Amino acid sequence: MKKDLEKVRNIGISAHIDSGKTTLTERVLFYTDKIHAIHEVRGKDGVGATMDSMELEKERGITIQSAATYCTWKGHDINIIDTPGHVDFTIEVERALRVLDGAVLILCSVGGVQSQSITVNRQMTRYKVPRIVFINKCDRTGANPQRVADQVCDKLKLNAVFMQLPIGLEANLEGVIDLVTMKAIYFEGDNGEIIREAEIPAALVAKAEEKRELMLDAASMFSDELMEAVLEGTPTEKMIMDAVRTGTLSLELAPVFIGSAYKNKGVQAMLDAVVRYLPAPADIENIALDINNNEEEVILQSNPDAPLVCLAFKLEDGRYGQLTYIRTYQGTMRKGDTIVNSRTGKKVKVGRLARMHSNEMEDIDVAGPGDIVALFGVDCASGDTFTSPEIDMSMSSMHVPAPVISLAIKPIDNKAQGNMSKALNRFTKEDPTFKTFVDHETGDTIISGMGELHLEVYIERMKREYAAEVHVGAPQVAYRETITKMAEFNYTHKKQTGGSGQFGRVGGYLEPCEEKEYEFVDKIVGGVIPREFISSCDKGFSASLAKGALAGFPVTNVRCVINDGAAHSVDSSDIAFQLAAKGAFKEGYGKAGAVLMEPIMKVAVEGPTEFQGSVMGSLNQRRGMIIGTLEENEYTVIEAEVPLAEMFGYSTDLRSMTQGKAEFTMEFAAYRQVPKSVSEEVIAAVKKKADEEKK
Amino acid sequence: MLKNDLITKNPLGAFSAEVSGSDSNMRMGLVMARAGLGKTAILVQIALDNMLKGRQVLHVTIGQNIQKTKAWYDDILADIASGCEDQRLADLQYEVMRNRMIMTFNESSFSRPKLEERLNDLIYQDIFRPSCMVIDGLDFATINRQAIEDMRDLQQQAGMSLWFSALTHRDKTEVSAEGVPVPCNEVADLFETVILLEAQSEGDSKIFLNVLKDATGCVEPGKSLRLDPTSMVVWGTTF
Repeated sequence: MKKDLEKVRNIGISAHIDSGKTTLTERVLFYTDKIHAIHEVRGKDGVGATMDSMELEKERGITIQSAATYCTWKGHDINIIDTPGHVDFTIEVERALRVLDGAVLILCSVGGVQSQSITVNRQMTRYKVPRIVFINKCDRTGANPQRVADQVCDKLKLNAVFMQLPIGLEANLEGVIDLVTMKAIYFEGDNGEIIREAEIPAALVAKAEEKRELMLDAASMFSDELMEAVLEGTPTEKMIMDAVRTGTLSLELAPVFIGSAYKNKGVQAMLDAVVRYLPAPADIENIALDINNNEEEVILQSNPDAPLVCLAFKLEDGRYGQLTYIRTYQGTMRKGDTIVNSRTGKKVKVGRLARMHSNEMEDIDVAGPGDIVALFGVDCASGDTFTSPEIDMSMSSMHVPAPVISLAIKPIDNKAQGNMSKALNRFTKEDPTFKTFVDHETGDTIISGMGELHLEVYIERMKREYAAEVHVGAPQVAYRETITKMAEFNYTHKKQTGGSGQFGRVGGYLEPCEEKEYEFVDKIVGGVIPREFISSCDKGFSASLAKGALAGFPVTNVRCVINDGAAHSVDSSDIAFQLAAKGAFKEGYGKAGAVLMEPIMKVAVEGPTEFQGSVMGSLNQRRGMIIGTLEENEYTVIEAEVPLAEMFGYSTDLRSMTQGKAEFTMEFAAYRQVPKSVSEEVIAAVKKKADEEKK
Repeated sequence: MLKNDLITKNPLGAFSAEVSGSDSNMRMGLVMARAGLGKTAILVQIALDNMLKGRQVLHVTIGQNIQKTKAWYDDILADIASGCEDQRLADLQYEVMRNRMIMTFNESSFSRPKLEERLNDLIYQDIFRPSCMVIDGLDFATINRQAIEDMRDLQQQAGMSLWFSALTHRDKTEVSAEGVPVPCNEVADLFETVILLEAQSEGDSKIFLNVLKDATGCVEPGKSLRLDPTSMVVWGTTF
């Protein structure tokens, strides 16, 4: 039987750290009968939330890996991905949003739009994901949904429209008023599972009427039918819902819902909103590139009979072996089918197919358009497209940010060495923001990632899951080098060692190039460097970028222009011109005002106002530049830009400075020139280390 | 070069070399206008003029967030820079950022003691030493003379220039002797300089920046500039 695609929802749950994503997902699973008891994140029963299946997640009370699950609600199949809130695991959010059709953006009713909410919202906008807003934690002291909705308009630039009103707030939160049906909804029973509809409390009728007016005004912008009906005073529930859905799908409306997942209030109403207002797979236009037709864009059809197109968005090496999470966009995939990896051209047989429910799974035989499933034992990379053999299409890949922090690790013994390699092999495959390489000069294994927590989690996982104990060096910042002025070069590579020699002369200049990491420009006229050796020059220059002469860091934002040179009919060769270009680069680089660049992080510290002075002082001491402060009641947010090199150990400092009452988030902002005095220190430290290693 | 270009090409620069206070830091100034006529844009231009000359500016916003305030600077900077040949705008934005700090308050949480406490946090820890402060969004209709005297006192103590914006209303026509309208007509004596933005419709809409009062003697009252109504950047003198 064909599945009714109109009744499928692929949604993500994303928000700032500690906004209650996992708690909300736990309720969703409970109300949809996927689980039969609610366990809390860091709950006293020690079980932990269902979606935090990793031991580390349970211990720390944070989500590290996005987890997929599915449930059914009022006849709709809902695939849900619960994503991490911490910015170090941002790739998990990127992966989830790439394959989802809609999202629930959760905001804390006290904290409002926090720094990570802005990042997540930006990611949703990048992937054009329609979203609804759920203002959570309305039971907490200081809850103010109106302020949060204002921030949604102001900071996230979304057209936030209340679809509900709270009945009571903080400790008095009793339920919500649905502004479409104009009914009060109460959530009763031990776990809020009994829904009771009643008349709106008399004291709230006027306010509900007023908010409904505003909601109708906003919704009628998306439906002429509703606008006319509103003018005539006869709007129906269906008309309103259809208009809100149209607005949401066009990304021009963000319906706002209210509740407290922890207190079991408002979750079922939010689920209703998911099926009412968020898109079905067919509502979203997905595009693939036809490789055989000049990469022409093809709009995929949510048709089970069309050729298969699906995207591998996440790899996981778990207790079931290699698992590949796949989102099917078009066509049908059956057990035993042969599919093709469009990147490698390799044919793969679909062995086992499963639907995932956190770390448990259910075997299935068929996956159709809109499904999110897992494949077993398929060798591929994250972001690969799989298709039917008769077509060759590729879906655009995900945005993968570059790592900003590195650590040197050394296994404690031989056994650990083997295990460490296995672990690193798996982690780098699973997580494109986690990289590893061996520093040939020191012999150290270097791991790089998005932040201290990111690397800390992997080191801990190596120890727990692979018994690979390692010594960990001090964190290293991913410095870069660049040039600040134009400098000419004219270098001749000449070598005569018997037999045919090597000869090549390369003339030209280096100059700063803000737009690109590296650009090679060929301005040779008259064939002074033969055409076949131009690419050799390019190779020589690009090889030189790997290690700058200043301190051995990668060189970026350089344009290498060649406009002169000479060749010899016998002695010139590919290698001769590569070496000549390397020599030319070295010569030019020395005169081009090379400087060190460092990653600058955008830091947001949130906490009680009484600590504002000391927090600002601490950021200033760390070479931070304070952008601004936002003071609301007794709560302050300080935004600053701070070099990553100065942020190591900040969480401990902040905790002790504020009695643990403040928290901070940071994300990469830009690379900027290191101040001269600091640059000298970094260069001296690099040289000292190199000298020590030589001894 | 862009920085120098900006200082010389910014039309407000010619005017504000006098007004925004290169030598007369101890000035308290006021920019008045009806809603939407560009008070914030003028405050931002006064602040930018100071920053580009290497002075630190504290931008206090009441009732708006940091990003929105920051966006004002980015937009106006981009607008002024668009006519310049050297387009290294990112460097310039960075330079501006180094000389600027934005402090935002809720309407209910703003007060002189609180502002003073924050200012002292910055100065005593040597984080930021503003020589100019702009306060945008203070509701002059609801504060009394004493509160403004307090702010003047703070400005004198800190030894900096201080600029406010104030909202005027079409329906209230009383003015002070210098022509300062409600709600600042009774406190006009506390300000050295008062600027009024006015819209005039002559075929196409025009916005003028009029100097109502300047007790420093740098600018003659009655001097006027014309503003570009879309960008709120000053176009040129019109008198």
